[in-house]
Amino acid sequence: MSRARDLADLAGSADAGGITGKNLIINGAMQVAQRGTVTGATHDSYGGPDRYKISESGDTVFTMSKDSDTPTGKGFANSLKLDVTTADSSLAASDYASVIYNIEGQDLQRIKKGTSSAESVTLSFYIKSTITGTYVVQLYDNDNNRSVSKSYTVSSADTWEKKTLTFPADTTGAFDNDNALSLLIRWWFAAGTDYTSGTLATSWESYNGANAAVGQVNAVNSASNNIFITGVQLELGEQATPFEHRSYGDELARCQRYFQKLYSDAAYGYPSLFVSIATAATQSYGVAQFITPMRAAPTFSTTGNFRLTDQNIAVAITSFTLDSGRSGVLSGEFNIQTASGLTALQTYFVHNNNDTSAALLFSAEL
Amino acid sequence: MYRIIEKSRQGSTSQFLIRLEDNAGIPFDNANTDYQEYLEWLAEGNEPEVINGDSPYA
Repeated sequence: MSRARDLADLAGSADAGGITGKNLIINGAMQVAQRGTVTGATHDSYGGPDRYKISESGDTVFTMSKDSDTPTGKGFANSLKLDVTTADSSLAASDYASVIYNIEGQDLQRIKKGTSSAESVTLSFYIKSTITGTYVVQLYDNDNNRSVSKSYTVSSADTWEKKTLTFPADTTGAFDNDNALSLLIRWWFAAGTDYTSGTLATSWESYNGANAAVGQVNAVNSASNNIFITGVQLELGEQATPFEHRSYGDELARCQRYFQKLYSDAAYGYPSLFVSIATAATQSYGVAQFITPMRAAPTFSTTGNFRLTDQNIAVAITSFTLDSGRSGVLSGEFNIQTASGLTALQTYFVHNNNDTSAALLFSAEL
Repeated sequence: MYRIIEKSRQGSTSQFLIRLEDNAGIPFDNANTDYQEYLEWLAEGNEPEVINGDSPYA
């Protein structure tokens, strides 16, 4: 082939996002799992690999984890494992179980949805599930309340299979160009008749629940069931191209736009997280800088025990409270309370209190 | 249910919005989905518990 032909093909590949950045999914290889294993996962629970969330109604309870079970020879080291710990063997009409992945509108503009130039997209992934049969993946346009679904078959129990689903272009309803939720990808695992009584919406349409998951098998009908997923890629066009592998550091930084976990690493002697300044014997204020700018000012929570130290004292922290009006996408201000022991205008280091579980958690998920 | 703790600071009042079910701190940011839920809760006619004082859990 001529060099001119090679260059033309390269340019075409670049137009389609083929060189880099083609995959609209963050953490598709399930490398990053800042929250660790989460048991008792029900509706809205995050756990295991970052960015994937349980969406369910009914009895189903999962344990979500990052697992090393992966398809052989495909270059993946990790998967999302959904271990059904409480089954929903008799689905009520409104019952369902699924995992979802949310995308900001400003990251979807290349799809040109809602225009005459709208593009189709192709989702590819590997799945291993205990239950064979028909499964459904749904795309939901949160800006315009529109939806499209595609079904696929899990042919062999507890066996890795690659699935490729192409979703048609939609010339109706543009994605907002902002940092809010525009596209939701839902992998259905069980669906009651509220979601199965119609005709599967294989073309984009105004959302109708009855058309969302027609034919979906109940993959959560036993506490012995497991579902694994990895290699998730969403790209423009009607072809699934090879998975775009990224470095761990690249994926971690992308995930930290939505969730960050700050902690004093025990392996390095619990170095301080930030400095605070006391205003009274029981109170100080501090500012935590985020690792990377977050999508929105994050919700704040803690696990474990912390302390304030200077050259003379170490005082247990009794509470961390986020200043709701002084927190943004780059940093958050905190009121930090102790039982006693602080000196006004003295600075103190904030550390884990010899507690490896202690962490400051910031969530700006969609 | 939510609680707002108000503290005097630098000549103004700092507010700390806490979701009581998990003690999560929620920022006043319309792009934050937890704050969006709080605003919806307010729109339903609910009101947060407001506490004044130096201790967040006074």
